[in-house]
Amino acid sequence: MHGHRRQAGRSEIWWIIPGVVIAALAWHFYPVSEPAAPPTLQKATLLPQPRAIADFHLVDHHGRTLNLARLRGHWSLLFFGYTHCPDVCPTTLQTLATTLKRLDAVPTKPELPQVIFISVDPDRDTPERLAAYVPYFDTRMLGATGKHQELEHLARQVGIVYARSRAGKDGNYLVDHSAAIVLFDPDGRLHAVFGAPHDPATLAADLQAIQRHYQDTRR
Amino acid sequence: MRLHTRGLLAAVLLLITRAVDAAGLHVDGAWVREAPPGAAMLAAYLVVHNDGDRPRTLVSVDSPRFDFVMLHRSRVVDGVAHMEHVEQITIAPAGRVALQPGGYHLMMPAPEPPPRVGERIPLRLHFQDGETLQVEAPVRRAGDAP
Ligand SMILES: [Cu+2]
Repeated sequence: MHGHRRQAGRSEIWWIIPGVVIAALAWHFYPVSEPAAPPTLQKATLLPQPRAIADFHLVDHHGRTLNLARLRGHWSLLFFGYTHCPDVCPTTLQTLATTLKRLDAVPTKPELPQVIFISVDPDRDTPERLAAYVPYFDTRMLGATGKHQELEHLARQVGIVYARSRAGKDGNYLVDHSAAIVLFDPDGRLHAVFGAPHDPATLAADLQAIQRHYQDTRR
Repeated sequence: MRLHTRGLLAAVLLLITRAVDAAGLHVDGAWVREAPPGAAMLAAYLVVHNDGDRPRTLVSVDSPRFDFVMLHRSRVVDGVAHMEHVEQITIAPAGRVALQPGGYHLMMPAPEPPPRVGERIPLRLHFQDGETLQVEAPVRRAGDAP
């Protein structure tokens, strides 16, 4: 007993413990007195204030209405593209599918986002075509499209642009479209934007940081 | 035993011929992205190496499996993804050009039946100087390890 107390390391520990206890108590009782610091993000851009958007009316790949109400109660990741796009779109959808699988493997079981691929090429991408195409990447992913007017209405509100471009060799047209992925929070508000290029590790890490921050600020 | 040796020898010879094919040009890492059901267009990727001392220019690609193959490029400009047709791709001496997701790629219409993982698709690359290079591209699901 005597010998132990004379060791410098030990005596310091006895001072640290009350310090930790006080800090923990302070943190527990005053979490709302100061807003939680914004999360450190690798890639995503957090909106200074989550942005409410006006309702929209699309059709998902099951033929059901996809509107703002269906974005509430869970996180959603939206990506805009078209199935005639052989490079950027399948690459991004594969990245999103891998992101879900990464999140599946996280021991703390983070809340999984609903991934939605919104086709901005409704003339060729019917809900039936999307029903075949989108679940190939991950059966939990949802495809949706709608009338041009409705698509533009939603796209504009979340900062996504798209436009038909010149015809290809076979008469097929191409569609230029924003490469960003947008994140909606469980209140159905635009919360963050992920700029391209995308990778699953960064998407998964940033999403979890944003989710933790969201929880902290609502405590 | 003798048969085995002969087979091995043939395989080695094949590899050697492929490596020194087409005077100073070689291709590796070729693959075709498996088409998701319903996809009308497909992409293929590869890396062209120019081992020579003069620039070489890829002008077209064809394949018995596709109606046509286009040289294409995806680019993200100010956050917007564009895809464009390119006339040719020049590879500098002792250089390489990678056709990879999000950049240069080959684009083809999906044939019926569509390529599935396990299939190997012949691609023939044509260069400006008349040289051609034949490669076999396995079909892969994007995200699979090469
Ligand atoms: Cu293309």
